Amino acid sequence: MSNQPVLELKNVTMQFGGVKALNQVNLQVNKGEICALIGPNGAGKTTVFNVVTGVYVPTDGEILFNGKSLKGKNRHKITKMGIARTFQNVRLFGEMTSLENVITATDVHNKSGLVGSILNTPRSRREEKAGREKAHEILKFMGIDHRSDQLAKNLPYGDQRRLEIARALGTSPEIVLLDEPAAGFNPSEKKSLAELIVKIRDRGYTVLLIEHDMSLIMGISDRVAVLDFGEKIADDLPSVVQNNPKVIEAYLGVPADAS
Amino acid sequence: MPFNLRDTGATLWANSNKWQRYLIAGVIIVGAFALPLLEGTFLNTPRTPFVSVLFYPIGVYVLMALGLNVVVGKSGLLDLGYVAFYAVGAYTAGILSMHTKLNTWEILPVGIALAMLSGFVLGAAVLRLRGDYLAIVTLGFGEIIRITALNSSAVGGANGISNIPNPPTTFGFTFDLESDRNYYWVVLILIIITILIIRGLSARRPGRAWESIRQDEDVAELMGVNTYKYKLWAFVFGASVGGAAGVLFASKAMFIAPNIFNYNISILILAFVVFGGMGNIWGVVFGAVLLSYIPERIRFISEARMLIFGLVLIIMMNLRPDGLLPRKKREKIGIAGGEIK
Repeated sequence: MSNQPVLELKNVTMQFGGVKALNQVNLQVNKGEICALIGPNGAGKTTVFNVVTGVYVPTDGEILFNGKSLKGKNRHKITKMGIARTFQNVRLFGEMTSLENVITATDVHNKSGLVGSILNTPRSRREEKAGREKAHEILKFMGIDHRSDQLAKNLPYGDQRRLEIARALGTSPEIVLLDEPAAGFNPSEKKSLAELIVKIRDRGYTVLLIEHDMSLIMGISDRVAVLDFGEKIADDLPSVVQNNPKVIEAYLGVPADAS
Repeated sequence: MPFNLRDTGATLWANSNKWQRYLIAGVIIVGAFALPLLEGTFLNTPRTPFVSVLFYPIGVYVLMALGLNVVVGKSGLLDLGYVAFYAVGAYTAGILSMHTKLNTWEILPVGIALAMLSGFVLGAAVLRLRGDYLAIVTLGFGEIIRITALNSSAVGGANGISNIPNPPTTFGFTFDLESDRNYYWVVLILIIITILIIRGLSARRPGRAWESIRQDEDVAELMGVNTYKYKLWAFVFGASVGGAAGVLFASKAMFIAPNIFNYNISILILAFVVFGGMGNIWGVVFGAVLLSYIPERIRFISEARMLIFGLVLIIMMNLRPDGLLPRKKREKIGIAGGEIK
């Protein structure tokens, strides 16, 4: 693991009316690491994902991807640059097959558009074929290739979550933002997902992970950042963060005699 | 298990090899070309010659329904002003034949291009809107075109343009008042070309982009789909088909006036798309054929026919809310919109 930053948030503030969902947040995600983002409900974790992927324009501060500012970039441009994400509530294209879901994502780097598709040009044919092969390969990697012809909405819940990750990987990202990928999983499913996330990292992707399950986080993360009420209160190795009094306070509250 | 035409058809197609598919397509195409032979049978329409009905309303409306289907059915953009592009095509034919010596076949690409341009201009301005807002603005656009024509003396105002020439004799096929069959064949060729293009697009990148936009526009954009561009393309493509229909209609009717291109046409075409099954090419074709044919067939009951027509619509939408041939089995619950979580 190097210390070369892929994604940097510099003093990012996101304000909705009177509410500061993020307040002067600094965060750095390095190449090839699994960085976990934790915090109580409403701490601003998903908001971090939303400002990075361009869903929200931050009120203040700067977001750098490989040293380049993301300011004013369209959402699809940001995806094309190499940032992909999943969603906390599964948001697949339900009436498409699993394969189509992933191919749609692989299309982002293709050159042929409407005219090429009408004329069925060699490039269009080549890209269609490559997209199909790549999508199959990713589905195989995620262990759901046998579902490739099923409509996404008919998949079992766990496979839908995996398909979300597969679709994000389809865009050939440098960094994947996983928003609670293990939500609703039982312990054994969580364990296999944790192994999968490590495999994703070992494939060369950088991972920024939101998760509530502490054992999962502590087991696989290289680094843990903690948000509370829109502010970053800790950012360190998992074992260090675990014993940080501020973090314990954020999760469990202040003991009665100390207040 | 009840007979399901969509699944039966889809299975038959999926299980056929290349030559069987050519055979099926060939039978359908030959059958469509042979439809004028049915003149005089029980299908005959009273008051209007059957073959003329095949061209207008049936052929022209099928063509327009196919174009609108790309916008509404595939991309999920509710366009209530589709008649505008039909009008642009028809008026292009009218104006060019007034001022130039161009024949219908030379005017056709110009009409298509101008319709595409108007689709582009409208789309570029309004496609940042969604849902109801988009519907209202397109509705306004349809009216703007009609009212502009109504108030421009250069295009005849309320009197419209008359004496638009018929197409010249081509490959030995004449086009005059008696040659309904040849007009029908021309529109049929355009319909086949349109179907082929839409099929090609649907299976490739633009089809996936449209489908993803229809299902969840926010997520589509976050997965790298340039939603604005593809929505614009959908609009422009739909407009081009509407424009082609307009040119053909004008050259057959020889006369156009603003009141032909009123708001009812937009709604009628939308009804074909919804009735037939949004997003499914064959559903839309069936819907448009049935719904444009029935009012002609029951013309003998005169004023009551629109009442019957409405009744048929209501009964059908109760029995099959997803249309005659729906695209795929759909869930009743809509896609979660709003905040991205």
